[in-house]
Amino acid sequence: MSIHRIECTVNGEFHSVDAPARRLLSDFLRDDLHLTGTKRGCETGVCGVCSVLLDGEVVKSCLMLAVQVIGREVTTIEGLARGDALHPLQDSFMRCGGLQCGYCTPGFILAACDLLKHKPQPSTDEVRHGLNGNLCRCTGYTQIVESVLHAAEEMKHGN
Amino acid sequence: MREFDFLEPTSVAEASGMLAELGEDARVIAGGTALMLAMRQRMLAPTHLISVAKIERLHGIDFDAAQGLRIGALARHSDVARSPLVRQHASVLASMATRVANPQVRNQGTMGGNLCYGDPSTDPPGCLMALDAQVVLGSARGERVLSMQEFLLDYFVTALEPDELVLEIRVPPLAAGTTGVYTRYLRTAAEHRPLVSVAFVARREGMHCHAPRLVVGASTPVATRLSRAEDLLDGQRVTPERVVQAADLAAEDISPVEDLRGSAAFRREMVRVNVRRTVAELLGLTMEEGVVP
Repeated sequence: MSIHRIECTVNGEFHSVDAPARRLLSDFLRDDLHLTGTKRGCETGVCGVCSVLLDGEVVKSCLMLAVQVIGREVTTIEGLARGDALHPLQDSFMRCGGLQCGYCTPGFILAACDLLKHKPQPSTDEVRHGLNGNLCRCTGYTQIVESVLHAAEEMKHGN
Repeated sequence: MREFDFLEPTSVAEASGMLAELGEDARVIAGGTALMLAMRQRMLAPTHLISVAKIERLHGIDFDAAQGLRIGALARHSDVARSPLVRQHASVLASMATRVANPQVRNQGTMGGNLCYGDPSTDPPGCLMALDAQVVLGSARGERVLSMQEFLLDYFVTALEPDELVLEIRVPPLAAGTTGVYTRYLRTAAEHRPLVSVAFVARREGMHCHAPRLVVGASTPVATRLSRAEDLLDGQRVTPERVVQAADLAAEDISPVEDLRGSAAFRREMVRVNVRRTVAELLGLTMEEGVVP
């Protein structure tokens, strides 16, 4: 069993932690760095609640080893707000009621970040397609899609 | 997940040497999306993971007019989907790559890793076969180039030797006027793995079709070229009736997989329907022109 020094940047902060090769990125974030905004769900790559941004692109942290992020930049839900100012997506999910229990929300918001980076003004279909790696078992998705569309509008106007 | 050592060779020879020494106890990791699942479900319990991420030879996407596209084994599905070179020279491949699994998997999973796993229910193999792609394999003993048919042997079985890596995928330049259409059929919109895939590449002159390559994937143990249907279309004026006949031949000529996701009979029917749609789309035929949807 090899031990590796995981040196990476998480939410703008540099970390250096020793971990065994088998440590998953999701466990590394939650258990080593205590960033529990990233959730564990199915842990088999289906539900997407463990989604994080790796160098700005959304990945499932339960399908990735911590050693694979050495030298790279991770963003979790904790890293989106600027001080007290929520990210437009966080604000929009709140305003549009894009959640009920909220467990899947961090994953949806990070997947939506990646989507809006590539398609700042997506259609409803593009939002659904862009979020198809994430499951919600409460809402039926309508308000999640509305939240993302609303955030896209807000971001267009620089809010 | 059981404990293992994580090794990071920086050359093909070094990785190949590790594989030769460690044998079945070692597994190669590229993106890791499929491997992590297999390990977490204890279908695999390697003592060593050999990461190929630091081998320069496996990276990048290039094009030259004589050789065509060179897609490094570590190109992720999202890299292929967004690559201006792929979009320009093999747009059907880029279009296929935008549909693989889901955004998270496309940002992590690699084209080379996909081929090595030999999982039939994924998108790339059939599309690459229709494009007449070749797979370049390498080891400490040298390199060899295989066609997709030579590389994909059976359900989850490839021609990879124990000490070999996939280095790159080559897609030859398409002849002028040649285009492709890739269609996938999902049992439900929420599924990430196609039940049927159809890839069709041909040169079109008006309503005539030349040098067609028609491949069915996901419904068969390995992606399969449909030569009888191709022969029926080759050099012919493609009418709606001919599309229907080609689709019937395609459905007849496959040995469908049967599992919980679909019976052999259901898959055969979906192959028929999707071959019709795919061939009709390439020729610009619509339902108004008599193509049965």
